[in-house]
Order: sequence, then structure tokens, then C-alpha cells
Amino acid sequence: MESSTKTAQLKAARALISALEADNEELIQQQLTLLTQTQESELFHEVGKLTRDLHESLNSFNVDSRLVDLTENTMPNTRERLNYVITTTEDAAHKTLGFIDQTLPLASSLKETAEKIDESWHRFRMREMNATEFRELSREIEAYLPLVKQHSDQIHINLTDMMMAQGFQDLTGQVIRQVITLLEEVEDNLVRLVKVSGKHLEHKKEDKIVDPIKAEGPQINAKNNPNVVNNQDEVDDLLSSLGF
Amino acid sequence: MKILIVDDFSTMRRIIKNLLRELGFNNTVEADDGLTALPILQAGGIDFLVTDWNMPGMQGIDLLKAVRADAKLSSIPVLMVTAETKREQIMVAAQAGVNGYVVKPFTAGTLKDKIDKIFERIDAK
Repeated sequence: MESSTKTAQLKAARALISALEADNEELIQQQLTLLTQTQESELFHEVGKLTRDLHESLNSFNVDSRLVDLTENTMPNTRERLNYVITTTEDAAHKTLGFIDQTLPLASSLKETAEKIDESWHRFRMREMNATEFRELSREIEAYLPLVKQHSDQIHINLTDMMMAQGFQDLTGQVIRQVITLLEEVEDNLVRLVKVSGKHLEHKKEDKIVDPIKAEGPQINAKNNPNVVNNQDEVDDLLSSLGF
Repeated sequence: MKILIVDDFSTMRRIIKNLLRELGFNNTVEADDGLTALPILQAGGIDFLVTDWNMPGMQGIDLLKAVRADAKLSSIPVLMVTAETKREQIMVAAQAGVNGYVVKPFTAGTLKDKIDKIFERIDAK
């Protein structure tokens, strides 16, 4: 308590005692009012301080830009990212299954014809084949050999494409890592939010340093962003414009 | 011809390794980011570098800069194979001295095309 207030109170108390001893009703009331008045102003002061604190607390909630940014921008963005994971994995699975569908009949047809020729060839070796049948076998072998090459080439291409389709793991992995980072940030913010019930939310306003070449992984919405290229052709165009 | 493949995802390293084998490059080594790639490069014997951009530890762009800044490594051709598609990034990579830039997802044909072009340019010099 401030010394001036204390002196004033002591003075009022002494005056109150002398008023009581003198049995002066009017003076008693006067000194009592004086004493309680200082008490009341202390109370008002405390209430005022609490109100200000509360106001600041509420304000720091509102202006914590990261929390606002997380809910308004990052969360919808994350939804897009997870949808990207779904479509990319789905796409890769369909591509792979498609190549399998294309490849299996090629392998089967090679096998069936080989079995047929093998059987005829066996009959020929056992001298169970007449001239007409042999001419037929020769035609079959002649037609079969280029087909083996053709189908093998196609199988090779399909297998390579199947391999390329596995690139989804890298692309979606990068996106999932970003989502994990975000979840950690949300967790961190929630912990701070819980702590704020006891004390003020520390208001840290970090200046965002924008790094134009910060690695971002696959672009989720490339079509709507003029700052990114959409395909290899655009990369090549850009590089050739730079003299590459 | 010994090629170093740098990517943090083992699946992508395997894809690139298989494609390079198809193209006749059987001698490949792998690293999962710039920090593990640099000692391999400094140990010598690497003739060609294929690197991703976005990797934990040391990123591909920093690896490229480190390679170009090292007198012993500066002439190694570097092909970037990455999902980073911002124009600014491609320009920075070009300025840093990248020899080719392939965006993911890519095709076997694109990779072959870019590698062929890099060797054509080297042969022409």
C-alpha cells in the first residue's frame, strides 16, 4: 500500500477514535466514509486491472495470426493435399492394373501359340506329319517369330510404364510429410491454447521471410498458379528462353 | 560411366536406377540427400549426377551449388529430377548451373531425352 494512503488512513482512524470518544455522531460518519472510500478505490483499481488483462487476453487470441492462418488457409490446403494423395495413388493403381490387363493377354497368346507349335513340332520329329501339315507348321512358325518379338517389346514397354507408375510413392510421400509437419504445428498451437487459460497467450508475431525457391514438393493446384509449370514442355520452354 | 542418384525416396532411386540400366548405364550409386551425396562425390569417380530437389538434410539445389563451387567436381553434369515446378526455382537451378531439369512425374522417354541432350552438349564442346 502506498505510504500516503496509509498516512491518510491512520489520520482518519485516529480522528474516528477521537470522534467515538467524544461521541460526535456526525464526525464518526464522516471519518467512516473517509476510511471506506480509500478501500473502495483500491477495489476499483484491481477490477480495472483485471478488465484490462482480460481484454488483452481476448485480443491476443484474435490477433494470433498463425492460428487464424492455420484455420483459414492451411486446413483447407491440407484437405486438398490429402485429396491429391488419394487421386495420385488411385491413378497409379489404375495405371498399373491397366498395364497388367494389357500384358497378360500378350503373354497368354505367346504361350498358347508356342504350345501348339511345340505339339506339331513334336509330331514332325516323330515323322507323324504329312507334307500339307508341315507346310502349315512352317507358316505358323513364320508368323509366330515376329509376333514373339512384337509382344516381347510391348511387354517390355508395359513393364517400364508399370515401374514409372510407382513414382507416386515419392510424390505422395512428400505431401504426407508436409501434412505431418502441419499436424505437429496444430498440436503445438493447441497446447499453447490450453496454457492460455492460466496466463496470456504469448503473442509471437514472427516476420515471415518468403523464400521464393523453398522446396514445396508436388504442386497441388498447378493449373491455377501462373508461377508454376504444368509439364515437362513448359520446363523446356522456360529453360530454352534462358538460353538452354 | 558412374552415375550417382540422389533422392530421399528409395522407390524413386530404384525407378531412376532401372531406367538408367535400360539406357545402358549399369554403374550407379545412390545417396538419400545432399549430405550423404557430397562425400561420395568428393571420394571421386562420379561422372554424372542425378538429383532430386526436395530432400531433408541438404537439398538438391544446395548440392548443385556445392558441386559447382568445388573445383574438383564443378564439371560434373547435373540432371535435376524433381517435383518442384515453380518458374523461379527452375530459373535458380539454371543459374546455379544445372544441365537438365526433369519434372516428376516423368516418362522413361523424357529422362532418356534429357540425358542424351546433356551428352550431346558435352560431346559438342
